[in-house]
Amino acid sequence: MELQINGEGVEVGDAISVSELLKVQEVKMPDMVSVELNGGIIQRDTFDTTVLADGDKIEFMYFMGGGSRRSAD
Amino acid sequence: MKIDTKVIHGAYKPDGETGATVAPLVMSTSFTHESAEDIEAVFNGRAPGYVYSRISNPTIMAWERRLTELEGGMATIACASGMAAISTSILALAGAGDEIVSGNSLFGGTYSLFAHTLARYGIKTVFVESTDVSAYAKAITDKTKVIFVETIGNPKMDVPDLAAIATLAKENGIVFVVDSTVTTPIMVRPKEFGADIVVHSSSKFINGHGNALGGAIVDCGTFDWSGDRYEHLHDYHAKAGSFAFMAALRNQYFRDIGACISPFNAFLTNMSVESLAVRMERHCDNALELAGRLDSDKRVEQVRYPGLAGHPGNKVAEAQFDGMYGAVLGFRLGSKERCFQFINGLNRVQNLANLGDAKTLVIHPASTICHDLSEAERQAVGVTDDLVRMSVGIENIEDIWEDVNNGLDSLK
Repeated sequence: MELQINGEGVEVGDAISVSELLKVQEVKMPDMVSVELNGGIIQRDTFDTTVLADGDKIEFMYFMGGGSRRSAD
Repeated sequence: MKIDTKVIHGAYKPDGETGATVAPLVMSTSFTHESAEDIEAVFNGRAPGYVYSRISNPTIMAWERRLTELEGGMATIACASGMAAISTSILALAGAGDEIVSGNSLFGGTYSLFAHTLARYGIKTVFVESTDVSAYAKAITDKTKVIFVETIGNPKMDVPDLAAIATLAKENGIVFVVDSTVTTPIMVRPKEFGADIVVHSSSKFINGHGNALGGAIVDCGTFDWSGDRYEHLHDYHAKAGSFAFMAALRNQYFRDIGACISPFNAFLTNMSVESLAVRMERHCDNALELAGRLDSDKRVEQVRYPGLAGHPGNKVAEAQFDGMYGAVLGFRLGSKERCFQFINGLNRVQNLANLGDAKTLVIHPASTICHDLSEAERQAVGVTDDLVRMSVGIENIEDIWEDVNNGLDSLK
């Protein structure tokens, strides 16, 4: 199936969870990442149980760089 | 992993490039990026990375991750000191017109921050008897943004029931902030009792060697930031979900206030924490023994230590603190003059304004750390003129006792 990750189409295996996606995408510092799914932030404790579907839009976000407040708007 | 293994192995794997078993010390103010797009991505939160060590740094983050694991939390921000951790977290939670409900048994610096400094900026603190849960309930208003306690009041040595206060905070949708400096994650993980945020002065037992100031804010990841009381954090909640408070700190409050820890202090702290479990065991064993001996000594009027069966907080401490009772105790000698005679009669025990060191330390709180409090305020925080505070070290107990006896023999 294809996901839209940070605006780009990415092929991944079917029925993949958010936790698995973090691994296969080799997301750096997974303990620091926030994950947005189809416009809504998902809670960290649901990463294992949230299963993704074809066409889902995923955004990975970090709060390490101290970007301005505006970047969080 | 058990907690005494986590302090050694938690959240760190030997460095991939060099195999270094110790998290490297990165004394770099700033960090370069390959392209303009790369640094833009870090600023926009699209990629992880370091920019400037006031905001994040690899050595500091190694320490933050370890403390997160020890507390069972979600994320940590290390600060310049314990007071920096408290100030930064309160300023991110409350503003002018807001209120804090705090236990009245507090470290003098925290009391001064709440009663005087924050008051100047329009943040009002309502102090309540630390162990009286109904008093917290009565003090809550629609302006309350924080409920704050210390795990063991310093130097009053009372023990609030964390679970009961957490239930009250939850019922009212208020963040429950717990200062666990004197207990450390070895004695209690406040999240297990319902705390939302844990603050530490790591300068004390966590560092344990008196060589690195530091503080920390640990977000337990339990609080729902979409509540009505925290409208100023709603935009962060929309973008970061449960990570909202940490995002708000890292991208605004902590960044703007700038009370960051030095990478060198984080390095020393992360090294020292490896022995925290064995140190705390010895600290607490020594303190329990010393408290018992002082309690049965006629030259001492009163001993405050939660490990003593007659202490009002003994049962709560037993339920909360994994069979340990801490290493700070207070005792009364009848007058300020007798306290000074005692302190001046000590040879090895060091007279200074700190606690949680490997060395046994002593201080007369009324004339030092609480000297700028009014008589009424001192009474509220449990400081009388005849009180001595002792932080019991990890020396041999007989050597500690010998010196304490020197002090007691000096009483006239």
